[in-house]
Amino acid sequence: MSESEPQQPLRVLLIDDDPQRAVALSAALDKSRYLVEHMIGADVSLLKQVDALQPDVIIIDIESPSRDILDSLHTLNSFNPKPIVMFSEQEDTNTINQSVHCGVSAYVTREVNTKRVRSILDAAVARFQQMQSLRNQLQETQQELASRKVVERAKVLLMETRNLSENEAYQMIRKMAMDNGQRMEQVAKNMIDIITTLSM
Amino acid sequence: MAQQEKTMAQQNKTELTIGFMPLSDCAPLVVAQKLGLFEQQGLAVKLERQNSWATLRDKLLAGYLDMAQMLAPMPLAMHLGLGNVAEKMSVPMILSYNGNGITLSTQLFSEVLTANSALAQTVLAEPMSASLLKPIVEQRKSAGLNKLSFATVFPYSCHYYQLAAWLYQGGISLEDVDIRIIPPSGMVQAMGNNEIDGFCVGSPWNAVAVRAGIGVTVIASREIWHNTPEKVLGVTNNWQLQHPQTLLAVTRALGQACQWLTGGPNRFEAARWLSEAGYVGAELENIAPALLDSCLTQQGSAPREVQGHTIFHQSQQHNQADREQGIWLLQQMQRCSHLDASIDLQQVVSQVY
Repeated sequence: MSESEPQQPLRVLLIDDDPQRAVALSAALDKSRYLVEHMIGADVSLLKQVDALQPDVIIIDIESPSRDILDSLHTLNSFNPKPIVMFSEQEDTNTINQSVHCGVSAYVTREVNTKRVRSILDAAVARFQQMQSLRNQLQETQQELASRKVVERAKVLLMETRNLSENEAYQMIRKMAMDNGQRMEQVAKNMIDIITTLSM
Repeated sequence: MAQQEKTMAQQNKTELTIGFMPLSDCAPLVVAQKLGLFEQQGLAVKLERQNSWATLRDKLLAGYLDMAQMLAPMPLAMHLGLGNVAEKMSVPMILSYNGNGITLSTQLFSEVLTANSALAQTVLAEPMSASLLKPIVEQRKSAGLNKLSFATVFPYSCHYYQLAAWLYQGGISLEDVDIRIIPPSGMVQAMGNNEIDGFCVGSPWNAVAVRAGIGVTVIASREIWHNTPEKVLGVTNNWQLQHPQTLLAVTRALGQACQWLTGGPNRFEAARWLSEAGYVGAELENIAPALLDSCLTQQGSAPREVQGHTIFHQSQQHNQADREQGIWLLQQMQRCSHLDASIDLQQVVSQVY
């Protein structure tokens, strides 16, 4: 990892019910590199906070009930996922990290040496960004594959029902898409619907 | 040879940690503990209360918990790798059926009465249809206002799918509303702060909202879906293969606890235990109703009787995980786009159930 030092300070949202711990952690982090915003975990306006602050990384105590709110950021598409670091009382956090979605979050022990917190935060952000770009690529590929399948199927149906050659069928879908200003996939979908309904 | 002996010993693991969430339907675990049913099976069980479903899941996968009480769709989601690295899961038994409710904020409920003036107060005498919300949803849309906002406890939960089903039956799609996730213990506060207009949650939290005058419970989940699994015992397939005898002993103890919970008088005793700080830690007046087939409606109004509001044992089923029910849950996940439509449901369910 030859990451260059980020110019912007890292925005950290810390969710912890123990104010003393929060103060200790904030104090340990270099102010010029990290902007730490602390909030009490039981506060349900968490999503508003995340939205307003747009943190680069969120730190939360594993025992906080609000963990489920953060976890849902990855499931509900209306929210931007964020890298999450979890403080855990467990001595050995390796086992738990193996089962967690890579890059989404990391568990670290509570007793972590504060000097190490910085590298943990940086690593979490970097790994998360890597994962996100992989995930986006995967999504695009899947999308493309699905759309190709639909066009293929529409082509076959047209060939069968209208006695067209493959190329003629393809041109027909393409022309309709251009005429209607729709994507080929959408036109193909509509065609499949119409043809299958008619032939029932 | 040594390996063989070790395997034998593992099969008879006697000290266990079981994770649970502080909700009324953790009753089977608490009852088994209080009545000494685990000891009778030669087990020393530690019940470990968790604060969030996601953390309970991660701890189970990491082996900090041997097994856990889970939302019925959870092991299926875990098995499929939704929210975690996929891990083969197993559901040895069902712990409860039904038990949730949908509560609207008092503010939204009065809007409902205004928009449907013919109803007056009779609306609370029976389960309310979400179609009564439709005019409000439409009006907000045309006025360019915020969508109605609802909360449930976890994406892969019956609560989420029940809320979606209730809205859908009333002609409202998930696109018409905002759905967010809030832990059960935060629901009433969020409603009190006007952050949400409604929620779907388990006992005791609907009752808490009603008694605090913050919300009005309009339907019980038993009235949306007919007797579907709500909480299950979840364990990794790996753990099950390593300790088959232990798992059998646990399910026997919990099965007896579920049977003990069939009668009304025992339910009240269970409610008393649940109210202790180490378990649910809520007031008896909020825990008891859902366990006694009572659905509180609104402050100052009569509660509604909902037969089978919360069920721990069905005589036909013996708390066995039923594959048809598993398929049904997977279909709900598909309907809410939590699961790809091309997944072979039969195959998934035959691995988990």
